[in-house]
Amino acid sequence: MSNSTVPRSRAEAETTEKTPVASGGATGPRSKPSGKLSLKLRWRRDRVLLLMTLPAVALVLLFNYVPILGNVVAFQDYDPYISDNGVVSILNSPWVGVENFQRIFEDSAFWQAVQNTLVLFFLQLVLFFPVPILLALLINSVIRPRVRAIAQAVLYLPHFFSWVLVIAVFQQLLGGAGLLSQLLRDHGYDGLDVMTDPNTFKFLVTAQAVWKDAGWGIIVFLAALASVSPDLYEAAAMDGAGRWRRMWHVTLPALRPVIALLLVLRVGDALTVGFEQILLQREAVGPGASEVLDTFVWWNGVRNQDFGYAAAAGLIKGVISIGLVLAANKVAHLMGEQGVYKK
Amino acid sequence: MTPNTATSGPSRRSFLANSAVAAAAVAGGMPLLAACGGSDSGSRDGTTSGKDAKKILPAYVASNVVTPDIPSKNGSSVGFTSKLDLAGLKTSVPKKLGKGSEVTIMSPFWGSPPKTDNAYYRAMNDLIGVDVAWQNQDGNTYEQKLGAVLASSDVPDVVVVPGWNMSGKIPSAIISKFADLGPYLSGDAVKDYPNLAAVPTDAWQRSIFGGKLRGLPMPASYVPNIVPLYRQDIFDKEGYEVPTSCAEFMALAKDITNAKAKRWACMDMKWVSFNAFGVLSGSEKPLGWNLVDGKLVNRIETEEFLEALEWARKLFAAGVVHPDAEMGKNAPDPGPKFAKGEFIIYAQDISQWWSRAAEQAVQNPEFKIWGMDLFGHDGGDPVLWATQPANIFAFVNKKASEAVIRDVLAVANVTAAPYGTKEYMMTNYGVEGTHYTVKDGLPTKTDQGNIDVMNAYVMVASPASTLAHPDFPDVTKGQVEWQQRMGAFTKKSPFYGMQIVEPSRYTNLSNDFEQLEDDITRGRKKISDMQQAVSDWKSKGGDKLRDWYQKILDENGSAAS
Repeated sequence: MSNSTVPRSRAEAETTEKTPVASGGATGPRSKPSGKLSLKLRWRRDRVLLLMTLPAVALVLLFNYVPILGNVVAFQDYDPYISDNGVVSILNSPWVGVENFQRIFEDSAFWQAVQNTLVLFFLQLVLFFPVPILLALLINSVIRPRVRAIAQAVLYLPHFFSWVLVIAVFQQLLGGAGLLSQLLRDHGYDGLDVMTDPNTFKFLVTAQAVWKDAGWGIIVFLAALASVSPDLYEAAAMDGAGRWRRMWHVTLPALRPVIALLLVLRVGDALTVGFEQILLQREAVGPGASEVLDTFVWWNGVRNQDFGYAAAAGLIKGVISIGLVLAANKVAHLMGEQGVYKK
Repeated sequence: MTPNTATSGPSRRSFLANSAVAAAAVAGGMPLLAACGGSDSGSRDGTTSGKDAKKILPAYVASNVVTPDIPSKNGSSVGFTSKLDLAGLKTSVPKKLGKGSEVTIMSPFWGSPPKTDNAYYRAMNDLIGVDVAWQNQDGNTYEQKLGAVLASSDVPDVVVVPGWNMSGKIPSAIISKFADLGPYLSGDAVKDYPNLAAVPTDAWQRSIFGGKLRGLPMPASYVPNIVPLYRQDIFDKEGYEVPTSCAEFMALAKDITNAKAKRWACMDMKWVSFNAFGVLSGSEKPLGWNLVDGKLVNRIETEEFLEALEWARKLFAAGVVHPDAEMGKNAPDPGPKFAKGEFIIYAQDISQWWSRAAEQAVQNPEFKIWGMDLFGHDGGDPVLWATQPANIFAFVNKKASEAVIRDVLAVANVTAAPYGTKEYMMTNYGVEGTHYTVKDGLPTKTDQGNIDVMNAYVMVASPASTLAHPDFPDVTKGQVEWQQRMGAFTKKSPFYGMQIVEPSRYTNLSNDFEQLEDDITRGRKKISDMQQAVSDWKSKGGDKLRDWYQKILDENGSAAS
């Protein structure tokens, strides 16, 4: 609520007149917390704001919550082709109880996909996650604006390439008939085919992700760095802190909340480790090394049209993800950070 | 089958007649409504033959425009090698049948698709009198898009579906999403479309899905379509001999390969290996079954299957296979690297024998591509298994209006025009001056012709399997003669010629085998993994599927020869 003297709307005008307590609520540090106001009063105070959120809420409901209902197909042998309308198809598809889940738990391919997903997640956590932080620190230390702008542009650019392009570039450079292999052969060594080696595939995927998206990831960290007061650096320098000390005691603590937040978000996405990227390379190394949960769902749902089965796998993934977010958030709280939300 | 010759016609017809004796058709003919809402989809699976099929099939009216120079023999296509009188082309569609509807067609495309608005598409639309908008999708990964498109509410007016993509619930989708063309084509109705009336009956027989005529077929020779293509110019220059056994092939491949000089022998030879070891056809699931000592056996259960995989694996292990092949289906188009000579043997559909030759004719005059005979693994005659006489079908959306259906049939009637007509020339060569030029009375495709005039319109419907490339008569001759030599070794398996829709609970059973084959040949999995997968397959439903096929066999009789 504003404390300006001129009301900005009729609603505000009314509330300023009739409920002076509430008008002070947001501004006065010791005023009564708004939570103690009666529902009616709060409604009268906030209704315009609430009305303004309605379109967004409607969109979230329509596109995020209504589709969740479609998950019932996990308990069906869903056949989308028996009618032209998805709802009618759901109503007419046979119910199979928990058969899809039973099948999943017995399916070694599913567990292979879970394993691959988790391994990839941890690998990316260790090898990918710190890279943007390091890059941001590096960029931040560049003082000449021009050099800095160019460096940033170069780092951001790969983010805008499609995965098809990125993988084609990697193939041309590192593939069995690519630049590196040919160079090795020219000098009497064996060719090296990084692109089709299932043993190193997860490192390859991580490397591609770093190349493509690490530069983009620095944006948030740069913003956080920009908010650090130069006074702190000056004070630290006055106290005789060197470059490394300043980074350790000033810069990194400033980044900590952002790092914690991103880490929690990342954990929530842990089971989403790159769909398009992996799908494009699935054939090159075989599903044994490359299948992750998302491609597993896609393969069974879209490719094999076993929609109920794929939906069941997707549900399991959702449940695990929620668990991971809650756990990560808890850890963030224990570390004294905000995390994503706080009760 | 060929309408122009009597030699191979009767044998296929007699198959139909035979199955007419075993008239009891499986439930495929039941009306669709019965399938809706029920948990049992029994009325959708099975096959339609005999009397039931006879009621549906279009009448056959042969059309003789040009007599083929090489008649069909051993199931080969007919071949035309003599000079085509380009000025005196006949007209098979005297009146534009199209009424100007807008028709969207989604079809698989092998190679790089042309722009959606190009001179060829425009000229075809003008000729037919429709407004076709093409959605060309990558043919190698087509099955990955098909399921999603058919599940959406926005199904194109026409969808082309190759038989090998009919896994999962796709057959069920075909039956419920696509129109019954019977009212327009069954019996004498087809005579409104003379070129469709000349499409061989066994191709139409294959177009019956769920007891209704739903597909527009692309007739094909039943001789295996995968040819080991090689660079004859390089073979001649280096003095390589065409191998006639697996051992010879391996020795030659090692001889050819020089990775340092960026030269490998071949791409993935899995299909050739299957043929060398006499493995049952993998081109369609019903063809994978054979009657051995009174019991149906699937290709994946045979010793030959494992031996073939092992040999294909050895090639990879020996390092004679181009590294691109490691990428499986996602490997780039082999054309450019074959032209550069990075590898000099690869196995692909027989149509590439000509299309690669045409592509390179202008900028690479030295380039000579030829097909080598399939060989038995020990150097003896190969045992080959027939593929289906039609394996690619175009379907019309059930929701399409009659005007659109009629216009689609108008498209099909033009694309099915026989060799020697203006329509055939336009469908296969495009516009003179733009897509081909005439030199010494021979059409030569231009660069634009090689981009625009590829495999789009021929997917809607084609004439009886025809090989005719006026620009490369020697290639045509080579292709037909290859088919005739290989046709002599080709046997038909029990379910040849039938269109069989498997019950949906079994359709995904063998989906992962192709990937497993590729994993084994590339050394990522072992033969023992395949044996494990086969035993899983049996217990998960393979044995029940065997019984199901046995019933079809009991009711319809075997087509084996």
